[in-house]
Amino acid sequence: MTLPQNLSGWLKLVLPWLLFVALLLLPVTSPSDNVIRLLFLTAVYSTAGLGWNLLGGMAGQVSFGFAVFFGLGSYTTALLMHAGHSPYFGFVGGAAIAMLASFFIGLPTFRLRGPYFVIATIGVTEAVRVIMNNLEITGGASGYRIIEDKPFNPLEHYYTAIVAVALAVLVSAIIANSKFGLALRAIKQDQDAAADLGVNPYTSKLWIHAIAAGLTGIAGGIYARRAGFFYPGDVFAFQTGINILLIPVIGGVGTIWGPVLGGVIFIIVEETISAKYQDFHLLIYGALLMLIVLVEPGGLIKSKRLWAGMGRLLVGLFTGTTWKALFALLQKLLRKLRFLKPQRIEGKT
Amino acid sequence: MKILEVENLTKYFGGVAALKDVSFDIPQKQICGFIGPNGAGKTTLFSVITGAHRPSAGKVQLHGKDVTGMDAASLVKKGVARTHQVVRPFKAMTVIENVQLAVHYGRRAVTRTSAAREHAMEALKLVSLDHKAPLMASTLSLGEQKRLEVARALATAPELLLLDEICGGLTGAETQAMMELLHRVREGGTTIMYVEHDMKAIMAVCDRITVLNFGQKLAEGKPEDIQNDASVIEAYLGKSDFGGKKRA
Repeated sequence: MTLPQNLSGWLKLVLPWLLFVALLLLPVTSPSDNVIRLLFLTAVYSTAGLGWNLLGGMAGQVSFGFAVFFGLGSYTTALLMHAGHSPYFGFVGGAAIAMLASFFIGLPTFRLRGPYFVIATIGVTEAVRVIMNNLEITGGASGYRIIEDKPFNPLEHYYTAIVAVALAVLVSAIIANSKFGLALRAIKQDQDAAADLGVNPYTSKLWIHAIAAGLTGIAGGIYARRAGFFYPGDVFAFQTGINILLIPVIGGVGTIWGPVLGGVIFIIVEETISAKYQDFHLLIYGALLMLIVLVEPGGLIKSKRLWAGMGRLLVGLFTGTTWKALFALLQKLLRKLRFLKPQRIEGKT
Repeated sequence: MKILEVENLTKYFGGVAALKDVSFDIPQKQICGFIGPNGAGKTTLFSVITGAHRPSAGKVQLHGKDVTGMDAASLVKKGVARTHQVVRPFKAMTVIENVQLAVHYGRRAVTRTSAAREHAMEALKLVSLDHKAPLMASTLSLGEQKRLEVARALATAPELLLLDEICGGLTGAETQAMMELLHRVREGGTTIMYVEHDMKAIMAVCDRITVLNFGQKLAEGKPEDIQNDASVIEAYLGKSDFGGKKRA
C-alpha cells in the first residue's frame, strides 16, 4: 500500500478509523438507551444499504428486491438460534442462505436488462413475501419470535451492528479498488463494451449480487435478533426493499461512504418525522427522493454545496460570520414581513 | 496456417439477410481487409465472429476449433478482440483505467494492479495516448477515442484483431501512423481483420482483401486484383455503359 501524498488523502485514511474507534468507545460516556438504539438501527440499515450499493451503485443493476435477503437473514438467524446455535453462527448462516437465494434470483433475472431487470426484482420480492406469509414452519403471517435465555444487552447488539457496518465498508473499499471493481464500473457504463474486453457481465453480476445479498442477510439477522419478534409483512415487505435502496441513493450511489451517510439521514427522518406522521411518511420519502435526485443526483456525500456550507458554518461559528449572516437573514426576513422599514436603495427615488 | 475458418455464415435480422453463406479463411499473421458498400454486412460479420451476435447458420472455427456462437468475453480470453466503428469508451473512467481493464480481463489475465498499469501504459504509447493517461475518457476528441478503442483491443493481447473503421475522423498523418502501427502489430504475431472505407489506407496495408456486397462475398484476392475486378467496380460505381449502346 502506498502512503497518501496530501492532506485530504491522509484524512480519508485516518477519519474512518477515528469514527470507528469513537463508535466503539461511545458507550463509555454512558449514553441513553435510545441513542444506542438509534445508532444500532443506523448501522444495520447502512450495512444493508452498503450491500445494495455494491450491485446497484457499482454495477448499476437497480434491484427493488433486497427485502428478500434482509428477510432471509432474519429468519435463518432466528431458526438457527431456535435450534440452539450461537447468534453469531446464525448471522453467518443468514448470509449464506441469502447468498444462495441470490443465485436462484440472479440466474434468470440477470438475463434481463435495465427496467426489465428492475420489474423482475419487484416480482420476486412480492412472490417471496406471499410464500413466507403462508409458510407453516415459520409461523406464516403471524411472525416469529426469538427467545434468548440471557438478559437483553443493548450494547452487545450495538457492537455487533458496528462491526457489521465496518465489515461492509471494508468489503466495499476492497472491491472498489480491485480489478473486479473496475469491471463492475465498466458493466455499469456499457456491458457489451465490457464483454468485448473479456469481462463476463453475467457472472460478474451474479457474484456481486451474492456478496451484496450476504451483507444484507447479516444486517437482517442482526436486526431480527434485537427486535426479538418479526413477521413477513415487516422484514419481507416491499417497503423494506425500498428503504434499503433509498439509503445509498440519499447518501451517494456508487460511493463507499454514501450509504453510511444515507443510513444516518434515513434513521433521522424515520425517527423524527415518519414516526409522528404515520399516515403520510411515504410522501415524505417521495419528496426527499425527488429533492435529492433533482438537486444532488450524486447523493449528499458528493454535494460540494453541503460540505462547503458545513465548513463555512463551523468556521463562521468561531469567527462570527455565521452570527452576522444569521442576523442579516433575520433582518431581511423582518423587512419582507414589514416589521422593519424597507432599506433605501441609492439612486432610486 | 489458418487462424480462422468461416463456413457458410448466415445472419438474419428479422427477414433481412445481413450475411448470406459467407465463407473464407484467414491465414495467420496477415492483414486481411474487408470492404464493401454501406450495408454490405461488414460490421455484422465482425459482430457474429466476435460473439456479439449469434449466427443464424454457419460455422466459425478458431485454430480448427468450433467457436460458433461463443460469448464475447470467452472469445477475448481465446485471443479474439475487436474495436467498434462507433466508439464505446467508458467515459466515467480514466483513459488508463479503460485500458487497464482490458489487461486484467484479456488473454494475459494480469491480476496485479501495478503490472496491469504498466501493460496499459505500453498499449497507450503504441497509439500515442500515453500523455492523456490520467484524464477522463470523456475529455478525449473523437480521433483520440478511436485510438483508445485500438489501445484497449491491443491490451487484451489478441491473436486475432478485428478493427472496424479505426481511421474515421483521423488526420492524414494520424492515419499514416495507424498504418505503421498495424504493420508493427502484425510483425508481433497478431493476425488482423480490417474494415475501412478509406481505400488508400486499406489498399496500402492489406495483404488480402475480401469484398462483401448485400451480405454476400463478391470477390477475394490481392489488393491490386481487387482494384481491377469488374464485379467490385460494378458494386461500387454501378454498371459501365462503355461498349454497349451509344448515348443518344
